[in-house]
Amino acid sequence: MPPPNTPASASGSDDAPAGSVNITSLPVPQLRSLQSRLTTELEHLTTSHAKLRAAQSKFRDCVRSINDGVIGSEKKETQGRDDILVPLTSSLYVKGKLTDREKVLVDVGTGFYVEKTTAKAIDFYNGKVKDLEANLQDLEKIVQGKSTHLRVVEDVLRQKVLSGEAAATAAG
Amino acid sequence: MADAQKHLQGLTEEYQKLQTELEGLIDARQKLESQQQENKGVQDEFASLDGDANIYKLVGPVLLKQDKSEAMMAVNGRLDFIEKEIKRIEDQIQESQEKSDKKRTEIVQFQTQVQQQQAAATASA
Repeated sequence: MPPPNTPASASGSDDAPAGSVNITSLPVPQLRSLQSRLTTELEHLTTSHAKLRAAQSKFRDCVRSINDGVIGSEKKETQGRDDILVPLTSSLYVKGKLTDREKVLVDVGTGFYVEKTTAKAIDFYNGKVKDLEANLQDLEKIVQGKSTHLRVVEDVLRQKVLSGEAAATAAG
Repeated sequence: MADAQKHLQGLTEEYQKLQTELEGLIDARQKLESQQQENKGVQDEFASLDGDANIYKLVGPVLLKQDKSEAMMAVNGRLDFIEKEIKRIEDQIQESQEKSDKKRTEIVQFQTQVQQQQAAATASA
């Protein structure tokens, strides 16, 4: 595991808490490794964010399927019509009939399925969507914090490289 | 000089091997964490169910009906197992971390030693 993240003071102020390191005092190679570490972390967090979003929309689809397909909606003219097409593969369908519009089987994870009434199932999925929303918001905060962090490090690094070059040309 | 270089290379290779090992362990730890989360979710779900709720377990391509108490026992057992696994992996992570820290100090020590020798050699020349 990488050494614990040194809490770099972002503003370079003098009243930084004890134990923190002013990043302007770090040499260029260390700044570079800090930059690459922050970039990987940020990438990881962004993919997690995208995955959570995808999961959330999947749950929303479930709710919609129950509302339109199982309960049936008048607007979409699915109410009272039991004919459905059942997907056997992603491109092969067979005709079927809905025999139970009251109960559905819900995958609750780890291979367990629970029979629920449509209302309970919708509650279940909405709960999942809400949980994911909370997670997404937390994650967004972290992503924002990390990206400001990264920006500060990049700024300092750029200044260092530029001033280093200037010093080199002046000396040479 | 060539000997020192070779020695240093050997040390670095060992250090890298330890790092890969550590990464593998951390991956395993993360996998366990997500499994634990999923099982906890199922446990909570079962706890909120009525006693007569129909629970099915996916076995291969078929769903088998299961007793609520049986299903809860299975999930609790899994959680126990995962907890133990997490403990075991964490111990391994710590051990591996200590090893790689030690290796790193060894490398740094060796490097400074070589540098000192070089400085001494140039000074006396």
